[in-house]
Amino acid sequence: MEILLIPCLFALIALVVPSNFMRQFSLVGSLVSLAAACIRVSSFNSTKFEAITSEHVTNFGLTFKMGYDGMSLFMIILTNVITFLILLSNYNRELSSNRTFTSLVFFMQAALLGVFASFDGLLFYIFWELTLIPVFLIALWFGAPGNKAALMKFFIYTFVGSLAMLLSLFAIKSSAASFSHADLMAVELTAKSAYWIFGGFFIAFAIKIPLFPFHMWQPDTYTTSPMAGTMLLSALMLKMALYGMIRWMIPLAPEALAEMTYPVVLLGIIGVVYAGVLAIKQNDIKRLFAFASISHVGLIAAGAVLINHDNWTAVFIQMGNHSLVAVGLFLAADIIEQRSGKRTLSDLGGIAKVAPRFAFMFGALVLASISVPLSSGFIGEFLLLKGVFSYNWMIGVIAGTTLIVGAVYTLRAYQLSMYGAPKPAPFADLRPNEWLAFLIIMLLIVSFGVFPQSIINFVGPSVNNLIESINNTLVK
Amino acid sequence: MSVEQLIPIIIAIPLVVGIINGIYGRNLSKKIAGSIATIAVFTSFFLALTVFFQLDQSVRINLFTIMKLENFSLNAGLLVDNLSIWMVLIITGVGALIHLFSMGYMSHDEGYYKFFTYLNLFIFAMLILVLGSNYFMLFFGWEGVGICSYLLIGFHYSDAQKGMLNGLAARKAFIMNRVGDLGLLIGLFLILAHFGTLEYTELYKKVIADSIPLNAPFIVGITICLFIGATGKSAQIPLFTWLPDAMAGPTPVSALIHAATMVTAGIFLVVRSNFMFDYAPITQDIMLYIGLATSIVAAFIAMRQNDIKKVLAYSTVSQLGLLFVALGMGAYTAAMFHVTTHAFFKALLFLGSGSVIHAMSDEQDIRKMGGLKKYIPTTHLTFLIGTLAISGFPLLSGFYSKDEILGHAFEHSPMIYFILMLSVTMTALYMFRMYFIVFHGKFRGTHDQEHHLHESPKNMTIPLVILAVLSVFGGILNLPGIFLKKGTHWMSNFFAHNTNGIKVVHEHMESGTTLALMVIAVLVCLGALAVSYFVYVKKSNLPVEDKDLKGWEKVSANKLYFDEIYNFLFVRPIEWLSIKGHQFIELFILNGIVNVSTKSIELTGNLVKKMQTGKTDWYILWMVFGIVGFVIYYLLKF
Repeated sequence: MEILLIPCLFALIALVVPSNFMRQFSLVGSLVSLAAACIRVSSFNSTKFEAITSEHVTNFGLTFKMGYDGMSLFMIILTNVITFLILLSNYNRELSSNRTFTSLVFFMQAALLGVFASFDGLLFYIFWELTLIPVFLIALWFGAPGNKAALMKFFIYTFVGSLAMLLSLFAIKSSAASFSHADLMAVELTAKSAYWIFGGFFIAFAIKIPLFPFHMWQPDTYTTSPMAGTMLLSALMLKMALYGMIRWMIPLAPEALAEMTYPVVLLGIIGVVYAGVLAIKQNDIKRLFAFASISHVGLIAAGAVLINHDNWTAVFIQMGNHSLVAVGLFLAADIIEQRSGKRTLSDLGGIAKVAPRFAFMFGALVLASISVPLSSGFIGEFLLLKGVFSYNWMIGVIAGTTLIVGAVYTLRAYQLSMYGAPKPAPFADLRPNEWLAFLIIMLLIVSFGVFPQSIINFVGPSVNNLIESINNTLVK
Repeated sequence: MSVEQLIPIIIAIPLVVGIINGIYGRNLSKKIAGSIATIAVFTSFFLALTVFFQLDQSVRINLFTIMKLENFSLNAGLLVDNLSIWMVLIITGVGALIHLFSMGYMSHDEGYYKFFTYLNLFIFAMLILVLGSNYFMLFFGWEGVGICSYLLIGFHYSDAQKGMLNGLAARKAFIMNRVGDLGLLIGLFLILAHFGTLEYTELYKKVIADSIPLNAPFIVGITICLFIGATGKSAQIPLFTWLPDAMAGPTPVSALIHAATMVTAGIFLVVRSNFMFDYAPITQDIMLYIGLATSIVAAFIAMRQNDIKKVLAYSTVSQLGLLFVALGMGAYTAAMFHVTTHAFFKALLFLGSGSVIHAMSDEQDIRKMGGLKKYIPTTHLTFLIGTLAISGFPLLSGFYSKDEILGHAFEHSPMIYFILMLSVTMTALYMFRMYFIVFHGKFRGTHDQEHHLHESPKNMTIPLVILAVLSVFGGILNLPGIFLKKGTHWMSNFFAHNTNGIKVVHEHMESGTTLALMVIAVLVCLGALAVSYFVYVKKSNLPVEDKDLKGWEKVSANKLYFDEIYNFLFVRPIEWLSIKGHQFIELFILNGIVNVSTKSIELTGNLVKKMQTGKTDWYILWMVFGIVGFVIYYLLKF
């Protein structure tokens, strides 16, 4: 339980800490959460489920069942690492000494952890909706002026999606003993009701990821939010949806999978190509990365519905990779915007010469985002493409074009902003905290790129358990 | 030390030194940064030599398991056999010489340490590529060399005039390579799907054990995919246009990556997978004709290029085409022989051109050179040797290796032999043309350039001399059996000894025919020499300005308009899609739907709002309407 309570506590304390200690306080806070999660890892048995609440059933079926297995713990650690990285990148920004902001970040972290640790459908839904509040307020209060319209769109979009999910949950609960994961899974569904339930979850997740064509809220929201908000959205919030597909959507309505796999894979891959092609000619670097994100997660979503051990472990590897890369890329975009006052590629150029450390780190990240060897993306993309390819070779080949298109837009963005003769305006090189954030990201990416087995061992057994129980319900 | 211990060390040295240079290089003096990088590659070379002498059977080394999944597992394994160790010798040997050369060539460059970091990392990736024991390791190295190539082509990215262009060339190279990589990746997936393993040795056993019918669809699919990968990395039609642009990189890079080593990765891939290609004659034919077309097209373009490096680049493409012709005929050892000699003389020519460019204060246009013979004698002599070797001058290395491929071609089909001879003739012509224009006649550069003309320092000329010696005597490695009884075909026997699937294939021609072919080759070479001498020295005809070119010369100088065609067919449509897709699908349709739905909600709201008048008589009226409506509904229903 302490995993969840610590960020809540820090969120409250943050409201009264003097603002000149705020930055140090926020780093300490995120490190304490991370340490608490690591302590859990040290005594963790990857084949078992570990409960963190005592179970008691309320009379409308809410069980408060929370805990973690390998998949959950992986997401918990990821959340804590990314939160730390976000606060670290933000360390030299004005916002870092703002009480409300810091409190909201911790609040967000707590809600995310709740999502990943919930083994009760209603609880999952509550935490899922809870995450919307802090990220919305961060974007609203600290984002670019005049972003209200974009945010309203974002809010309504995700809210409608969530509503669909809630209906699905109630529908399946009507024939289950309680909202607990196991009880919901045990429900046998007719094919028709399975589609509706699957569909309700899918709309919620497809909007959050976002999958083509549910992505209309995403580019505007990403570009008008403050850096930390964009990072929270892309690195963590969309992972809830991918995780939700594996933990909730498929296990609860596996009967629909036979029919639904194809359309979901297709939507994912259309998104890969569509967003990739659109990214090629984007002139706004943040918007370009926003489309790149749609393109990358489309492939992960396709992998998530191709249910087998290899694909699902690949989904986790690639989720970790995408989170790290997203934080890095949006940090780089923000550095460019802050220091040069511009975000349009045609006005940029020549930064590499004046800021070599930044050029190196940004360059390394760009390479990681196009999945070169030694990066975790190399492994993740290899496995996911293989999964899609063995499902349907034609879709696999189309998905594979991300290899080419990804290189086109990412390298274009890098070269137009960094190459060429330096501009007369000064451009300060990396500050220590930014440098450290980049370094940690790179080290993690490389270590998972060389030893992906560590992730496979961590999530593999629980992936197997889940698949086994899904198969059991299907056989019944 | 045993092979198992030596091989990981050979790979690790360039990696470790590369990382050291990358991190601390900034603080090291140029001399130290360059020296440790060069020494690292030399050390790897000498260690590889000791392995070479003690290796009598193939050795498989398992370093660690990258991942173990349910359906398959991937190992970081190494396979040392005669094929891979030979490639290691070429990579580290030529690589070390080029490192040495770079110490002089790059001495005025501020990114000195970075350059050597990239070079070392390239060597590391290339070693992984050839030494890996499975296709995943090969793919790892394959992508790795692509990255290093990208970084090195765009090395001078902050140049005020050419920075963006260099970046563009680098990007083009990387993206075209990625097209090929996708083919290779799909090939890997197909192999996994059909054989369940990517390990060469296991795969070999399975392929041999399964009686696969010739041209079975899946084996054709696999080999075609692998070949698509090879066309990217080894610059074959249709993916060759990146290589000439890659000349934007510093000249040692062109020598190492874009002539001697990386571009032969495609050849290596096919030779490594020869046991699968044997079951797919269709793919072999495709390979043969693509190679043939590339060879002739590139040679034709090279005829009227005036950039010293562009000529060499197209020459490389043409020679690689020749190699694919050899592979298409199943003459794997002949191909490997030519890979080796080509590495010697093409590295020599590129480094020679580097030395020329260095002397000419960065001038690359051969029209502005001339008469350099007396200013840079060592470069001149070695460049001449390189030119002779590539043109197939008797008894030089290129003569033997090219002859072997031509012999196979003649046996395969006289038509193919004839077309190849055309390409060989053009090769001799454009090489001698360049040689005479650069080194003979009067100096045509500016006064400033003439003032600065100087022979390159020792660390640049020594590699030239060594490579020149190798280019002269390289033919000894695989002497034809026509004059001698013993000591012939050393290399063919060497590869046949312990490399999966390689057999010694000799031509079965009578010695009369062989001799006749040799005489023809010699005559062609000497004829081209004489013609070029006559045209460019005696009559001192010089290349004219681009705008004055006519007929075939204009087509050749404009590279057969390949770039323009690709621009029209691929680049523009995709950019158009990107812009229009954003305007039309994204903003108009999708955003439109969202806007329409919000608008309709708003409208409904406005309509319903009007009913809330607050007056009781209106509400009673609505109620009456409601009741009447219900009554009518039920009446109609029953």
